[in-house]
Amino acid sequence: MHNPADMPELLARFLAMQQPSWRNVKVSSYEVMTGGYSRLLAKAVVAHDDGEHILVLRGDPPVDKILIHTDRRQEWELIQVLNLHGIRTPSGRYFDETGEHLGTRALIIDFSASQSFLPYAQGGGSLEGLNERLADALASFHAIPIDALPEQIERPESWDAYLTNRIDEWRRTADAHVEDLPIMRYMAGWLDAHRPVPVPLTLMHGDFQGANLMLADDGHFEMLDWELASIGDPREDMGYFKAVAMIAPPDLLDDAGCEAFCARYRELSGFSELQVNPVVVAYFLILGVVGTVRRLLEGGADYARGTNMLMASVFTMNSVQFGQSIWLPTSEALGPILDSIAAAAAAAALAEGKSC
Amino acid sequence: MLTRPTTEQLLVGIAADLRNLVLAEVSSEPVKVLLGQIDQILRGLAERASHEIAWMHEEADTISAVTGTEVGWPASLHLEDVITWYGEVSRVLSTAIDAAFADGDTVRVAELKRLLDTRSANEMKIVGTLDLVGRG
Repeated sequence: MHNPADMPELLARFLAMQQPSWRNVKVSSYEVMTGGYSRLLAKAVVAHDDGEHILVLRGDPPVDKILIHTDRRQEWELIQVLNLHGIRTPSGRYFDETGEHLGTRALIIDFSASQSFLPYAQGGGSLEGLNERLADALASFHAIPIDALPEQIERPESWDAYLTNRIDEWRRTADAHVEDLPIMRYMAGWLDAHRPVPVPLTLMHGDFQGANLMLADDGHFEMLDWELASIGDPREDMGYFKAVAMIAPPDLLDDAGCEAFCARYRELSGFSELQVNPVVVAYFLILGVVGTVRRLLEGGADYARGTNMLMASVFTMNSVQFGQSIWLPTSEALGPILDSIAAAAAAAALAEGKSC
Repeated sequence: MLTRPTTEQLLVGIAADLRNLVLAEVSSEPVKVLLGQIDQILRGLAERASHEIAWMHEEADTISAVTGTEVGWPASLHLEDVITWYGEVSRVLSTAIDAAFADGDTVRVAELKRLLDTRSANEMKIVGTLDLVGRG
């Protein structure tokens, strides 16, 4: 994939090996795609005697151009699980684990004929009801039993341990950077002081944003790009979506949309109103971005140290600064409300204890 | 030394030429995305070149006053020296923030947060309007 000119031949040879029943395999078109910052993407039209297929390749970039490190094997195995559970995401077809066939470790999935959500929205497409469809999409994969997920995805010991680790990630990120980051330290302190009501841990997409959503003809979302998936608090996906949507609209979880979104998600998940509500989503707007923030800062730090020369590493640091401009006022507004929710949850737990 | 046109003017001019002249001649989508990113970075650099040394000094004065810590001065006004000194000043602020949260001192936390609001406002002057070019 590093040399697009070689790819039609390499891909045709690889597919002929994977599908011995296909005769005269030819790649009639191979087009490098934009849309992802971290992996190489390409769309290929493949023809053989019995038909034609449109496929998407996702492969690792050259070592000196890797913005973030993720595991193609884990992504591949997760896609198999998602396909098995009927989650709306393109089917995984083939995997070149060693990179010996496609020039780099790469997986091949079906091309989705659905519309990319962001261009759809930017073109004036109707957003009516999509906040609830977003809840459907999230609830669908959040419901996959953890036992069914690939073994290499780390299982946190408990929700408390998970959250503590996630909050500490803000401090670790600040400590690891090339200069002191007091805003990160403030956010860690604030997140710790306003912990939400716990929920069971689930699969998290990890990069759940408009750019990774497609809109199918039936009005439901398809989800793409599972490379950052992990096990964690499902509300992080909600907060992350909102965080990115504030930079790249539309924000389906704005004041008007978030209440209905939460109601639909509660209906599907069985969570309580203390667990899932717009204020808690806003808490996770901050917490949920820490993984991405860490990776972006690592890229910027590498550039500062001279160990990578990717302009994208510098560019994406703008997102961190934009995020900071959102987190600070959000924390100020949310603090008192989160305190009241915590008090209500404690009172409810006490009342339940007494009634038992 | 010749100081005009200023660094800001030159960087804004380079960004405009890339956007208005070079971009039109480019057909590769990944290169168009890269040019879009470079455009935003150059405009941010223009803002930084104009103000960053002053902003770092102004912030340091306030941090010193609020934390009651003598933060001194950079070894020189060369940017590398100012950045090194600013890093030390930032550490003073980080330490004060950690202590305020550890003590549960909400008034102190709010006071320190105001310093962060100023820092963030300056950062956003550099970022300008964020456009995640190439996404989606």
